[in-house]
Amino acid sequence: MSLLQKLDAARDFQDQLGQLGVNAIGATIDVTGSATEGKIEGKRVILAGTNNYLGLTFDPACIEAAAQAVRTHGTGTTGSRLANGTYAGHAALERELSVFLGTRSAIAFTTGYVANVGAISTLAGPGDVIMLDADSHASIYEGAKLSGAEIYRFRHNDPADLDKRLRRLGDRCARTLVIVESLYSMLGDVAPLDQFCEVVKRHGAFLLLDDAHSFGIMGETGRGLAEALGIEDEIDFVTGTFSKSLGSVGGFFASRKHDVAPLRSQIRAYMFTASSTPSVIASTRAALKRVAQGQALRSQLWRNCQRVHEGLTSLGFKLGAAPSPVIASLMDSPEHAATAWQVLLDAGVYVNLVVPPGAPKNLSLLRCSLSAAHTDEQVEQIIEGYAAVAQRLFDQPRAAATAYG
Amino acid sequence: MISYDECVSEIQTLLAQSHAGGSIVPPESDLIDELGLASLDVMELIEALEDRFDVAFPINELGDVRTIADLAKRIQTLT
Repeated sequence: MSLLQKLDAARDFQDQLGQLGVNAIGATIDVTGSATEGKIEGKRVILAGTNNYLGLTFDPACIEAAAQAVRTHGTGTTGSRLANGTYAGHAALERELSVFLGTRSAIAFTTGYVANVGAISTLAGPGDVIMLDADSHASIYEGAKLSGAEIYRFRHNDPADLDKRLRRLGDRCARTLVIVESLYSMLGDVAPLDQFCEVVKRHGAFLLLDDAHSFGIMGETGRGLAEALGIEDEIDFVTGTFSKSLGSVGGFFASRKHDVAPLRSQIRAYMFTASSTPSVIASTRAALKRVAQGQALRSQLWRNCQRVHEGLTSLGFKLGAAPSPVIASLMDSPEHAATAWQVLLDAGVYVNLVVPPGAPKNLSLLRCSLSAAHTDEQVEQIIEGYAAVAQRLFDQPRAAATAYG
Repeated sequence: MISYDECVSEIQTLLAQSHAGGSIVPPESDLIDELGLASLDVMELIEALEDRFDVAFPINELGDVRTIADLAKRIQTLT
C-alpha cells in the first residue's frame, strides 16, 4: 500500500461528509465583531457554538490588555519557554493561576491540547498505568499513548466500572494515573467527581482532572467542578485551557498536592514549542481577574442554559444531559443532523454539527454552547431557530429525508 | 486459565449479537476488514470480554489484534 493511499482515504471521508449537503468540516466565520454575533457565508448569525462561556473575547479590559501588550512586547516571543520565550507576563500568569487555584505551582502551555499531552505523557511512563474515561478528549488519548504507559479505559462517567478495573490492577494502582474530565464537551454531561475521588483514593491511585469546560463557570469563584463539590484538595493534578471561559488560547497544569514546577525541564511539549504571544498572556491575565469576580457572569450563563434547555425540551428535542453550557441535541442520523444544522444557519443561528466519528457512541449531534454574553433576545432567537428545525424534521420527516437522503 | 476454544466461542457469541447478524463467524475473520468493526467497536468488544473473564486488556495492544483468533489468544494469556 502506498503512503499516499491515506490521502485518498481522507478525501473519500471528506466526500462522504460533503454528501450530507453542508460544509460539515467547519464553516468559516468571516467576521465576529462581538462575543455572540458573526457573519457566516455573508449572513449575520448568533454564535451559539463557540465555547465562549463568559463572553470574555470582547471584554474591554481583556482587549485593552492585549493591545497594550502587543505594542509593548511585539507580536510573538519567537522562542520556547526554556529558551527566550518566558517573559515576565508568562511568569506572572503562572503565579496568578496558582494563587487563584490554591495550587503549589502551575505551568502555562501554548494550548490546552498541548497541556494535556505534555502533562500526561510526562507524569506517566513505561511501567505505569493510565486509566481513562472512555469519552476522554483526543488530547488525553494522545498524551496517554505518548507516555508509553499501559492504557485501560473505563466506561464513561461510571465510578463502579472504574472501581472494578482498578481492583483488577491490584498493587499496580500505586503506579496508576486515573484521568477524568469535569464537563464533557460533546454531550455536556458532568462527571460524578466526588465518587471518582473516593474510588481513586481507596485504591491508592492518582487522579488527574481535565477541567477545560467547567473552569470559570462552576464553583463560587469559578474554580470549577471540584470547587463546587468542595473536593479540590482530593484532586492530585488538574489541567485546563484558556480557550473557553478565559476567551484566549493556552492551557495549564497545576496541583494542590504536588509541586509540578520541576517538570518544566521534562515536559517536551513545554520545552520544544514556542511560548504564547505576549498579547495572549495579557488578555488571559485580565480574563482571570474577571473570572475571579465573575459571579454575575456565571449566574447569567446558567440562566441562559436553563432557558435554552427548557425551550429545546419542550420542542421535543432529545438532549444529551441536564442543563449545562453545552446543550447537545441527539439527532436520528448524520443526514438529519446536517439538515438541522443548515436550517439553524438559515435561521441565523450557528451551532456545531458533530457526526461520527467525531461524537461519542456514534451519535449525530447538534452541539449548542451558550454564553453569559447572549442576551435574552438572542436566547429566544436560538430557541426559535430550533423551532424551525423541529417543524422541518419532526413534523415533516419525509421532506427532510428526501432532501438529503 | 480458560481454554482458547472457550475464548473464541465467547467472542463469536458477542459478535453474532453485534456485527455478524446472528451468525457465528470463523476464528480467522478479520475484525475490521472482514467484519467491519470500527476501532471503537473493537474497544467495546474488549470491554465486554474483560468483564466476562475478569481480566484487564491494555488498549495499547489493540494494534496487534487483527482476527478473532488473535484476540482469543491474548485474552487467554490474561486469565
